[in-house]
Amino acid sequence: MSNRTGTTGKTGPNGPGGIPSRGAPSCSMSRRSFLKGLIASGALATLPCGLLLPRNASAAPFSKSDFQIFRNACPRNCYDTCSMVTYVRDGVVKFVEGAPESTFTAGGLCVKGYSYPRRVYSPDRIKYPMVQDGRGSGNWRRVSWDEAMERIARKLLEIKEKDGNLLGLALTKYSGNFGITNYGVEGMMSSLGYTTRLVGTPCWPAGIDAQNYDLGDMWCNDPEDMEKSRYIIIWGANPAWCSVHSMKYVYAARDRGAKIVVIDPVLTQTAAKGDVAWQPETGSDGALALGMARHVLDLGLVDRDFVANNAVGFEEFAAYLRGNVTVEWAAEKSGIPADDIRHVAEEFATAKPATIWIGYGMQRHVNGGASVRAIDALVAMTGNVGKVGGGARYGHLQTWGFNYHAMIQKAPAGSTGFTGKSGPKGEFDVTAGSAAPAAYTDRALNINKTAQELLDAQNPPVRVLWSSCKNPFAQDFDRNKMLRAFEKLEMVVSVEQFFTETVRHSDIVLPVTTLFEEWTVNASYWHYWVSLNEQAIAPLHEAKSNIEIAALLSRHMNRLSPGSCTYPQDIDTKEWMEKEFNKGVYDLLGISHWQDLRKGPAKAKLASSASWSDRTFKTPSGKYEFRSDLCASHGHKASSPTWTGWRSSRRNPSST
Amino acid sequence: MTTQHASLPKKRAFLVDVERCIGCFTCAMACKNYYHQETGVVWRQLYPLDEAIYPHRERAFYSLACNHCENPACLNACPVKAYEKREDGVVVHHQDRCIGCGNCIRSCPYGAPRYNPVLKKAEKCSLCHERLDAGEQPACVQSCPVRALRLSCPEHPAW
Repeated sequence: MSNRTGTTGKTGPNGPGGIPSRGAPSCSMSRRSFLKGLIASGALATLPCGLLLPRNASAAPFSKSDFQIFRNACPRNCYDTCSMVTYVRDGVVKFVEGAPESTFTAGGLCVKGYSYPRRVYSPDRIKYPMVQDGRGSGNWRRVSWDEAMERIARKLLEIKEKDGNLLGLALTKYSGNFGITNYGVEGMMSSLGYTTRLVGTPCWPAGIDAQNYDLGDMWCNDPEDMEKSRYIIIWGANPAWCSVHSMKYVYAARDRGAKIVVIDPVLTQTAAKGDVAWQPETGSDGALALGMARHVLDLGLVDRDFVANNAVGFEEFAAYLRGNVTVEWAAEKSGIPADDIRHVAEEFATAKPATIWIGYGMQRHVNGGASVRAIDALVAMTGNVGKVGGGARYGHLQTWGFNYHAMIQKAPAGSTGFTGKSGPKGEFDVTAGSAAPAAYTDRALNINKTAQELLDAQNPPVRVLWSSCKNPFAQDFDRNKMLRAFEKLEMVVSVEQFFTETVRHSDIVLPVTTLFEEWTVNASYWHYWVSLNEQAIAPLHEAKSNIEIAALLSRHMNRLSPGSCTYPQDIDTKEWMEKEFNKGVYDLLGISHWQDLRKGPAKAKLASSASWSDRTFKTPSGKYEFRSDLCASHGHKASSPTWTGWRSSRRNPSST
Repeated sequence: MTTQHASLPKKRAFLVDVERCIGCFTCAMACKNYYHQETGVVWRQLYPLDEAIYPHRERAFYSLACNHCENPACLNACPVKAYEKREDGVVVHHQDRCIGCGNCIRSCPYGAPRYNPVLKKAEKCSLCHERLDAGEQPACVQSCPVRALRLSCPEHPAW
């Protein structure tokens, strides 16, 4: 509001995006004269971002035919996984918008998605491979791709020679780019031999386990059917910030008379929009859900037909509630008044259908998985599982049935590796159980203890760390320990778009493509749309995709030591995108060829918007399991949902 | 909606449903994504209502661009007739006629016209009239994930 004088433009004509443009007729003239000015001022280096010329408001009429239009998909680890449309002219991304064909994205992105054209042309992008002389020193110098890859290849061959295997090479990768072909990074590791992997998931595993025990799979209703809910509890999720496209369904439900209850220790933006906002004690979610379940039981509002015919173990669960849980106990643990708990529990049990959206925060606590099980139980006992507008919504992987061609690569002949007990698997580990038992495996380190695991690994120690689609210094625990862990490493390679904290602590950085510069395909773990991601522009600078980097490494490995890497040495990202599709994906989406996705994203053909609509569950009993013997056999203390108090901690004197 | 613009009511305006707005800034970024204004030149911005104005714990916001006034102060203050009010209500600033005097910037009660320090001229939200004319929605309206920001017609509030 204060920008009313000419003195507040911060960077002037040479700043990012600072190339002015007049109306179309005079564009080339003013641009040429401006370029001269840029050269004179030595500011030509800012040009990539300057390709985004300001558009004059009274410019020529808008016509889509002035643009090449491409399909893209937001690659972030986000509920919404937006289907994008990209407008390109003269090889430059001019603007993006949401794909109108997707009823979920519905034509609009979010604030981050709309910033992508500025991200790809940012002058701060890593433009070419660089070597840092002294980690953390900032003494970066540009090297050629060949020099960078030869350096890495020689180091890998050196440690393989020294250790007799490649377990000294570790990969840390997570969800920085969810394009399916980016699983080619794991493939690159496999193609080198048996390596060390930081695996598991920092995100949602306890809740997945919980839903596996209760239902047999993590499988949520279509979020678009939330508008048919009569009662929505958003429990530990904040869609107003983290899934903005879901909010329209929440609003639509309310417009039709539904009540919105938001449960979160923080008064979030979603809570501000709810009809009821509860701020329970952190980590008390399970107790709160059990208290609600007890009240539903006492009122006789249990769906007797469901618990008798479609579930097992309800009586044991009910006995646990009667013997161990009262509403007053839940109120004491959670800090939510008992009358409020009774009121919401009764409303929830009598509104049909009612649903609970279970966020990922609560299961990152003691009792985490059990808390999700307790909420599942509340939804199930009120007869809301398998109902349109109902359901215990956590996530799904129904649309992720790709070939993982980029990921599944063979170790070179004669490779040796790890022979101990295998560690945790990632949630997208589609290879589990499919491969014949091998004499050797990769060495698994727990991704949730990255720093400690890097420090502790022996025989051999981790010598080389490859980081891609991840920024461990920002995203993993214990920064100080991470600094010590990195000191132990002989070489750190980061694949990145920008100079992150992890890049700062790396020896070599390799520039990676953005979504606009490669082909891939993207699915969501929340909604049911699948989007093609076309290459809209040529990669800027010297950026390469993750799989092209793997191919280049393979070329150098094989040149120095023939047969040392099985990864193909020439890769076309479009061909590799095509290789991810199969009949199962086509049938699910109701398309006959991936090319159909060029016309717009496709949604899975669902028998019902409700998961489990036929009430056939994937549990051992085929029913909903209030009592899970599988859960008990996995070493958990109870087979039914329970709540056992907080972990004692000096910082939490109120813990029990 | 995109194909029916010929039959739309004559006067157009932005409608901001503050009850639905989640303060996500998408509208402001969608404008920047489409027009790539110079640094510091903002046509649409989202303003959180701070506690001094709105003393409640619930957060509230208002999204503001040009209001395309019935009786535009900018148009009246402009000495070179750079402003035009179209029949459909859109207030258009013809930047090629602008001499950068700043009268409109000082006159507008909503802070809509901004000074472009590179061109040394004023500029403001155009209601994406070139998109409207092509049957498209304004970039910000299309972007709003909760449909809090809509295109409306003061003469037909129910529309």
